[in-house]
Amino acid sequence: MVRRNLFAALPLAILLASPAATGARAADPIKIGVDTPITGTYAPIGQQVRWGLDLATKEVNAAGGIMGWQIQLIYEDEEANASVAVQKADKLFQVDKVDFLTGTVNSGSTLAVGQLAERAGKLIATTVSFADSITGDKCSPNVFRVNARAEQQSAALAAWLAKDKPNAKVYSLGPDYEMGRSTVAAFQKGVKERGGTNLGEVFAPLDSKDYTQYFGQIRAARPQVLYTSVAGNDTVRLLTQMQDFGLLNNMLIVGASGTVTSQNITAMGSAADGFVTGVGYSPQIDTPENKKFVEAFRAEFNTDPDLFAADSYGLIYFYKAAVEKAGSTETDKVRTAMRGLEWPTPQGTKTMRAGDHQAVQKMYVVRVDKGKFNIIGEVPGDQAIGPVTCTRW
Amino acid sequence: MLDYLQFVLAPQMVTGLSLGVAVVLVALGLTIIFGLLDIINMSHGEFYAVGAYLALSLGALGINFWLLLLLVPALMIPIGFAVERGLIQRVFNSPDRHVATLLLTFGLGIVLEDVLSLIYGPNTQRPSTPIRGAVEIFGIMLPNYRLFLIVFGLLIVAAVALVVYRTRLGAMVRAAAYDRNMAASLGVPVKAVFAGAFAFGIALAGLAGVLLAPIYSVFPTMGRDFILLAFTVVIVGGMGSIVGAVAAGLGLTQIQAISSLYISPVWSDPIVFGILVVVLMLRPQGLFGRLGRA
Amino acid sequence: MHEALPLAAAASPARHIDRLGLAMRASHVLAALFVIFCLLFAFLAWRAGDVFYLRLATEALIFAGLALSVDILLGYTGLLSLGQALYFGLGAYVSALALRAGISFGGTLAIVFVISIATSLIGGVIVNRVRGVYFALITFGMAQVVAKVVYNTRELGASDGLIGVPIVPIDLGFVSTSSASPAGFFLFTLVFITLIYLAVAYLLDTPFGRILIALKANERRVPFLGYRPFTVRLVAYVIAGVTAALAGALYPMLRGFVSPELLFFTTSGNAVITVVTGGAGTLIGPLYGSLLLTALRSFVGSWTTHHLMVIGVLFMAVVVFFPKGLVGFVRIRLEHLFERLLEDRR
Repeated sequence: MVRRNLFAALPLAILLASPAATGARAADPIKIGVDTPITGTYAPIGQQVRWGLDLATKEVNAAGGIMGWQIQLIYEDEEANASVAVQKADKLFQVDKVDFLTGTVNSGSTLAVGQLAERAGKLIATTVSFADSITGDKCSPNVFRVNARAEQQSAALAAWLAKDKPNAKVYSLGPDYEMGRSTVAAFQKGVKERGGTNLGEVFAPLDSKDYTQYFGQIRAARPQVLYTSVAGNDTVRLLTQMQDFGLLNNMLIVGASGTVTSQNITAMGSAADGFVTGVGYSPQIDTPENKKFVEAFRAEFNTDPDLFAADSYGLIYFYKAAVEKAGSTETDKVRTAMRGLEWPTPQGTKTMRAGDHQAVQKMYVVRVDKGKFNIIGEVPGDQAIGPVTCTRW
Repeated sequence: MLDYLQFVLAPQMVTGLSLGVAVVLVALGLTIIFGLLDIINMSHGEFYAVGAYLALSLGALGINFWLLLLLVPALMIPIGFAVERGLIQRVFNSPDRHVATLLLTFGLGIVLEDVLSLIYGPNTQRPSTPIRGAVEIFGIMLPNYRLFLIVFGLLIVAAVALVVYRTRLGAMVRAAAYDRNMAASLGVPVKAVFAGAFAFGIALAGLAGVLLAPIYSVFPTMGRDFILLAFTVVIVGGMGSIVGAVAAGLGLTQIQAISSLYISPVWSDPIVFGILVVVLMLRPQGLFGRLGRA
Repeated sequence: MHEALPLAAAASPARHIDRLGLAMRASHVLAALFVIFCLLFAFLAWRAGDVFYLRLATEALIFAGLALSVDILLGYTGLLSLGQALYFGLGAYVSALALRAGISFGGTLAIVFVISIATSLIGGVIVNRVRGVYFALITFGMAQVVAKVVYNTRELGASDGLIGVPIVPIDLGFVSTSSASPAGFFLFTLVFITLIYLAVAYLLDTPFGRILIALKANERRVPFLGYRPFTVRLVAYVIAGVTAALAGALYPMLRGFVSPELLFFTTSGNAVITVVTGGAGTLIGPLYGSLLLTALRSFVGSWTTHHLMVIGVLFMAVVVFFPKGLVGFVRIRLEHLFERLLEDRR
């Protein structure tokens, strides 16, 4: 059906001869599939992804779209389950004929959907998954990542820690899944390289009820610094329970960028104060671009954006820049355009590294003070990012 | 060595105890519903969540926490009554009551969870802790609210056991559970007793929701948290046995606390489920007998 | 009510087709309709150049295999398994590992078959010590343990699962296709699941199946017939385990990956929902149920974010108003029709 539409519209497109439309597509909108968790444990992250994409799409469409094409977002609920994610991605690719796909949150979904995209000859990007493997040993020519991966976050945080608390003794508590293990490994590497000591680590199952069960190990190790990469509801429980048990009094808590976000910070209250993280975004970034973004976001959704919203917002501009550079929405042309692309985001200019499809960006060290994400340090993009480990192209 | 005992092992066991009491509170309603009505209530976790959300909403209206401890269970009773009369009774007399009620409550749980996320959204919320501060015992901080929970939780369990085992009402309920025809012929209003027992179990789930919300926070999928462990506790302890639920609840959480210290937290879940399988193999009726049968 | 009948039927051998045979025939008619419907769908979808709906339907058939295995236990032994995803996931993981190691299509299925027999024998010995509601709980507990072990094993991809399962050619001698061909693999899966259905239906129609049903109706009388209930139940459990594993083996061929969610309670729970909606004890009900629910999930999921509520309410309605499931509801009417036809002939 869509094919027929395309042929029917072809003469019209040539007649109109919009300078950009080279005859490859009709005047239909550009469709972007969003395969993101709308229900279940990851629903709060999915909500921020949605808000970020919606806002950017509204702005781009109001300003005339991408080379005259309007953007249309098509949502599917992936339930943070790789099997569901792949089924829904298949629908978006084959039925809705989306030009591009994003939204996956857990690394299992991103990897599986990435493989599907590769077999279907389409491109996807993740705006959330941290696991290094996605742009590392399991990289795919059809998968891009616009958010900072675990190694970038950890490098920024470890660099700050080495300066602020030299030779710190660090204990790590991660959630027991790939994203969690990846972040802990990256941070421990960063600490070791900068002269700190790793006292050990413990991995807690996802959705742990009671983190007090793990306080024994932490107390036994007597660390000065606790690193954690739990997220969402889990952070609320971990930090409030640590506060109740007096563990926050003489220990510095640092963590991954998704650990404390504007979604869960209100539930934690003062338990989140003093938490330090290496992150690609904070609503406090003092640039005109970010102020405009935060203002628009607040006006629309009545809350602050977090890193997931900011990275998802930036993704639309990434895709726009790539399509404009390619002059087309064809996979091969867009992929070539995306490689090495520089584009503006609320966090400043990002660069898509050609060697592994990982975005390079300035990293921030952020401390939570009374519900605000204050920036206490910055690390230039090229210093935070590690070498390319992807060997597929 | 003593140092290790004082700062690591002992606190680990105390926190294990507070988790144990929490699990027992959730399991209590479950085991009563099973013991009396022969129903596996798969939606018990969602009723626990409903209790927590009710506490959150009413607390936001400015109602005092201590009042909520009475008010929320009171509100849960008509809900439980309606569910038993409107849903459970429709399949209660089908040839395979276990399967039919299990499936029905399973469906109900799915619906309830989605209703909660529809009303409250997906984000985590948390009521403030009603008792602040902590005491220091042997150099270890223990939050006052946890201590309160341990004492109050055990009191509730004792009170429930007393009602079930030592009062005329309890005797009627146990008689109805043992032989409903006999009980009916002796003038026990069996239908009302069953609906009342179910509502009582639901009210206990709601009470657990109020008590645990300040510690474990509130979100739509919270019902899944405790339910697996609560089921395990009920089975290992012996379905329908209050003493069994307490023993298994406190025992299994101690095993979890110790194993997460010496093996890894990652394996504490498989260990507990392994115990479940072994107990079912060797002693399917659980470690303690059933309510009404013992 | 059905359960008491086979013994009565056995007492009157003069009547050629008993009530149970009638029920099975009704199921076969529905199965034939099912296959015709699927072929029609495949033809139309293939003509339209569709990819997604064919693959979605293939997935529905694969999960129908899992549901069928739940039905073998629930419908014929009266035991509810809340952990059948264990064998489905086992089949999927073994298949993924074998295919990644370059083993052929036939070889992979053979390996899954052998391993699933061995594991379901072990599992069967454990779970068949208990019955009734305890059976539901022990199967649940055992599946949880295995799911957690897989989830924690890095060699099996841990929480991420395994990607990179290659596209596999399927050569059946007279015809060949590939797991990447939407229509070809759909037809293959249809044949595969239909064969499993027929094999199971055949087994349950033999004296062995009669004993199973007799066992469900009256435990104490069966030993007098010279059978050990434990052995009979164990055989049923192994048949169910192998069915689930073979269905699971097709999953990585279709989707190119496996993830630990395939082993989780959600998967077992969905299979139970499918069986109950379709109709327990009908064998064909799970197949209809799987197609129906997959279609429903897919369409409702695109409309509203609260699809769980729709599925949950539908499921509760079936439990209350159609205790024999949707297909069971239809099948009884078919049986009555056959009965009338038979009587007319006599």
